[in-house]
Amino acid sequence: MELILTLKKEIMVPVEMDKILPEKVQDLSEEEIKSIELPQGRTTITVGELFDVEVKESETPRLVIKNSTAKLKRIGEKMTTGEIVVEGDAGMYVGVEMKGGKIVVNGNADSWAGQNMKGGELIIKGDAKDYVGSAYRGDWRGMSGGTIVVEGNVGNEIGEYMKKGIIHIKGNTGIMPGIHQSGGIIIIDGDVEARAGGEMLKGAIVVNGKLKEPLASFKFEGIVENPVIKLTKKDNGMPITGRYYKFSGDYVNNKPKGQLYVSVENNPDLR
Amino acid sequence: MEYIIKNGIVYDPLNGVDGEKMDICVKDGKIVESVSSDVLEIDANNCVVMPGGMDSHTHVAGPKVNVGRTLRPEDSKKDIFNKKGLRSGSGFSVPSTFKTGYEYSEMGYTFVNEAAMPPLLARHTHEEFIDTPQLDKAAMPLFGNNWMVLEYLKEGDFKMCAAYVAWLLRATRGYAIKIVNPGGTEAWGWGKNVHGVDDPVPYFDITGREILEGLAKVNEMLGLPHSIHVHPNDLGHPGNWETTLASMDCVKDIEAKPKYGERTTTYYNTHLQFHSYGGTSWKDFVSKGIETAEYVNKHDHVMVDVGQVTLDETTTMTADGPMEYDLHMTNGLKWANCDVELETGSGVVPFIYSPKGPVYSVQWGIGLDIFLNINTDKVILSTDHPNAGPFTRYPRVIAWLMSKQYRDDWLNNKVHAWAKQKSFVADNDREYSIYDIAKVTRANQAKVLGLSKEKGHLGVGADADIAIYEIDPEEKDGKVIEKAFRYAKYVLKGGELVVKAGNVVKEVYGNTIYINAKVDEALEEELMKDLRTKFKKYYSVNIDNYPVSDHYANSWKAINIDATDIK
Repeated sequence: MELILTLKKEIMVPVEMDKILPEKVQDLSEEEIKSIELPQGRTTITVGELFDVEVKESETPRLVIKNSTAKLKRIGEKMTTGEIVVEGDAGMYVGVEMKGGKIVVNGNADSWAGQNMKGGELIIKGDAKDYVGSAYRGDWRGMSGGTIVVEGNVGNEIGEYMKKGIIHIKGNTGIMPGIHQSGGIIIIDGDVEARAGGEMLKGAIVVNGKLKEPLASFKFEGIVENPVIKLTKKDNGMPITGRYYKFSGDYVNNKPKGQLYVSVENNPDLR
Repeated sequence: MEYIIKNGIVYDPLNGVDGEKMDICVKDGKIVESVSSDVLEIDANNCVVMPGGMDSHTHVAGPKVNVGRTLRPEDSKKDIFNKKGLRSGSGFSVPSTFKTGYEYSEMGYTFVNEAAMPPLLARHTHEEFIDTPQLDKAAMPLFGNNWMVLEYLKEGDFKMCAAYVAWLLRATRGYAIKIVNPGGTEAWGWGKNVHGVDDPVPYFDITGREILEGLAKVNEMLGLPHSIHVHPNDLGHPGNWETTLASMDCVKDIEAKPKYGERTTTYYNTHLQFHSYGGTSWKDFVSKGIETAEYVNKHDHVMVDVGQVTLDETTTMTADGPMEYDLHMTNGLKWANCDVELETGSGVVPFIYSPKGPVYSVQWGIGLDIFLNINTDKVILSTDHPNAGPFTRYPRVIAWLMSKQYRDDWLNNKVHAWAKQKSFVADNDREYSIYDIAKVTRANQAKVLGLSKEKGHLGVGADADIAIYEIDPEEKDGKVIEKAFRYAKYVLKGGELVVKAGNVVKEVYGNTIYINAKVDEALEEELMKDLRTKFKKYYSVNIDNYPVSDHYANSWKAINIDATDIK
């Protein structure tokens, strides 16, 4: 079944959308869907009041949110299967703790996209704010699987405490991507404001653009060409193309195994 | 309001009632002989009736608890309390204040004793007490690393030390003398720790033994209701059991002379599990739970609580600063540490007692070794909340104690094999009766705290704090036991029905109990001279701003002690 929700009008107070997952609404009638209550601030609002609801036949469980704005939070939280398409912007916490399935945001996403993600795929066509693929505030056990792709720019501290999975940012990032990273791979095609991989223990970060302020606590390992990134010995590895300065770190930690690849071409000052 | 609790099976160890079917009458907040005919009847048929639960050692309020909450938003997220008509709350191992009160109440508890109150920050503790409903409360200020105490004891001036203890209990509205790692936390201020009872503290040149002996003596000079409440040196270090026994032994000749209550012991060893470790490192780490339990069985002056590890993810917090630093170095997780001027220090570190961890499994086994080998008149059930596990796990500990089958289920299917190899739980067939459970969850607490006149029993004249659990006294199914004790069928607090079918139905606010000990005026004057100098020279606050004022409680209950005989 495919559920199409079209936001009727602009809202001021954010609404939490975690009850509307493709997998959860499959067996519900249109009327039942309309009567689902969603938290809005200190009260609730029904799906019917908020959206025009349309139900279509479809082989895979799907949810399409049209006219979406950054006031719709927690879209796809804990989803395990199916597909969500957001036409417009997504609010904070899109794809939080998702285990499987696919979310496509055809707009921008607010902070905390894909927080503590465990599996599945989250694609953001526009920009995303801070903490993409991070851990919950305070937790030291972050993203443990899945893939996040952001086609635009992102904010600060993406992949914080990341353990596994892949984050691919096609634009620029703010400061400290991969802070406390302990696994997984972060690929940044654009520029990084500063301090990539602060306190990282394991995992890899690739910066294809300019790393404006590298950390002094990383060790230069040499220049590598078309390297294959291996995080474990058994790992088949992930090939990347280009010439890179390879660093290890972060040496504020004891025996760190983090890998940082920085484009030679775009960082002439690193010579 | 009058109630009659009909046909319950009553367990009241302090009055020797072991499973008798009888009715309990309640009027005006007290248990009475009889009530009029026009009363509310509570049907307790097929239910167990006990005095309200009492917790003699728990960390539920005050600065370090709040640091734990602030430090761990991820713990808050794990457990949300949201029930209609009640204040909401969150936190699994460090719950917010209202949640703490409600959940204790759901379990049939009516009294808690906050185990470590930094005197300078006593206000914070009392502020949180104001917002902790359903319970009577008390808090123990920390004395074991206090400069005034260290100096007076070094000089051998017990009288002045007694005057200071009396003053500080009054100023902070405290209940008893708490000693944490005697000398060790002060040594931590110098970047060191003390090891064993005979290792002198830097600068003060006094040993743990002298601090324990001195404060035990002072405690009995004043005649306080509770004995000294001790977290000995070397907590959590393999091989520490010898220090533990040496600490217990050094006060054995002191006689208990409480001026209030019926306490007979002079030494309360808290979380004995953390102090019963054999071996020399974590590799050859073994249980010495049986040895420490046997020492307790043989010596009349000691009472202990266990600090049972519940194998959960929790938050450790103690005034033992150096120990928390060690813990952070072991698990590498985030940590907080703090120094409290002339008085004490503290630390907080999250901790995951994974059942699959070999060392944690042995710790679990050591707690049970103590429970299963000790005289049940001398032991108290605790998890040192939240250090070894949150208080909401008490029902599970009860289930492990009451059902060998349930214990074995954990031993064989859930915990690491080291529990079998390095502790003696597997060989022990002992099962606690409900009567034993009533002792270790309420009666023993009441007696050792010196509150057995009004609390911890169901005799006429006692406070009407009553817990009613729907359970067959012979029940052996661990899950059923756990559920029955987690959610009491009915709970009365101060003669009012506060819990029905495991849900809080009425919010009440209990008393904050403290010691108002009076010493000779000339002695007090002399003390004030010393104190004023100390405050002027070293404290960041003025002495007049130090005492906790009257509005820091919903209602105070002072226990007056006349110690003017100290001259």
